[in-house]
Amino acid sequence: MIKIDINKKLHGSNGEMGLNIDIDIKDNDFVALAGESGSGKTTLLRILAGLEEVKGTIKIGDKIWLNDKINLPPQKREIGFVFQDYALFPNMSVEENLLFVNKDKKMANHLLNITELTKLKKRLPNTLSGGQKQRVSLCRALMNKPKLLLMDEPLSALDPSMRTKLQNEILTLHKEFKTTTIMVSHDPSEIYRLSNRVLVLNQGKIINDGKPKDILLRTTGSQKFSFEGELLDIKKVDVIYIAIISIGQQLVEIVVTAEETKNLTIGDIVNVSTKAFNPTITYKKTN
Amino acid sequence: MSNIIATVSKIQNCDNLHLVEFNFNNQSLSMVSLELNKKIKIGTQVKLVIKPSHITIAKNFTGDISYSNKLDSTIVSIENGKLLSSVKLDFFDTTLESIITHTASQKMNLQVGDKVIAFIKESELSISEIIDA
Repeated sequence: MIKIDINKKLHGSNGEMGLNIDIDIKDNDFVALAGESGSGKTTLLRILAGLEEVKGTIKIGDKIWLNDKINLPPQKREIGFVFQDYALFPNMSVEENLLFVNKDKKMANHLLNITELTKLKKRLPNTLSGGQKQRVSLCRALMNKPKLLLMDEPLSALDPSMRTKLQNEILTLHKEFKTTTIMVSHDPSEIYRLSNRVLVLNQGKIINDGKPKDILLRTTGSQKFSFEGELLDIKKVDVIYIAIISIGQQLVEIVVTAEETKNLTIGDIVNVSTKAFNPTITYKKTN
Repeated sequence: MSNIIATVSKIQNCDNLHLVEFNFNNQSLSMVSLELNKKIKIGTQVKLVIKPSHITIAKNFTGDISYSNKLDSTIVSIENGKLLSSVKLDFFDTTLESIITHTASQKMNLQVGDKVIAFIKESELSISEIIDA
């Protein structure tokens, strides 16, 4: 069990705000940390890593990382950290990057094997693709068998297919090492695939805490198929009206009646929803 | 999902709103839609799709009803769940599935072999594929 109870004043984009977190995280949990930028997600990770001054208590099992008297430095906290920008040592080979953390060759080989990097172990980081670099930093973060793995948007710089591949590897590694993990992510599919708990941060406070599906599923009443969009236009055709709405990167058309158009104004942000029984799914080839 | 392979027999429109009629074994089906793919003309063969939860079943039906699609079918199987029933229908050798409540299935005393009418609203029928343009 990890107990986190911390308070810190932050200078956010909207002036000063307090970061107030009081949570327990179960061993082996994979927690996703979501929320708008500037809500305090990265700061929370840095606090857990010991990279930020803060008041409060952080306790991992029986071990105290932070209280009134103790403040363990980062290297004593048994954490692994994966950053968005890989942060590998450029002058060391893949293998040396891993062994720098811990001289356990067996562990290094095992991790490189799981992530299919064995053939690349003598290469320097700048000869690797983004996906390969991020796999190396993931392996490096696990070399010490950390008590807590922290990941700050680890996959956001990668293309979608590489992201899916790395998500699968993260899952494999999490199954094998059962490392308690906290990952900052904005991607709903990533959060759904990887985590078993989501914390949503807003202005330094946790405003939502629960299972990924409960938090991520957008619903409007009993309608489970729900999207937010901008009403661009309403056209009259015959006795009905067609509303043109922009959702994400696409335009959709919705048939509405004269009565329904009365509450709509062009430019409105609207919810478009239907019951889960209505949509049909068609297979789409990706390549 | 239920599919019917049919041929376009008539197209009417008002701006981008269309009413399309299809022929399937000399039975007429109709659909309303917004923009229509340009390849769809009279004589085009298409695959029609209907979500099973949108197919209504009527037995011993009399009276008028606004559904344009009234498909004379025969029940070939019934799978009862706790709340819902999946009823498979044969419509000229094409199988359609209808999801109705278990209560409705019991009230109507639906049995395999029953002659029923499958009702589909024209707005709930759609084209999923153009087979032969």
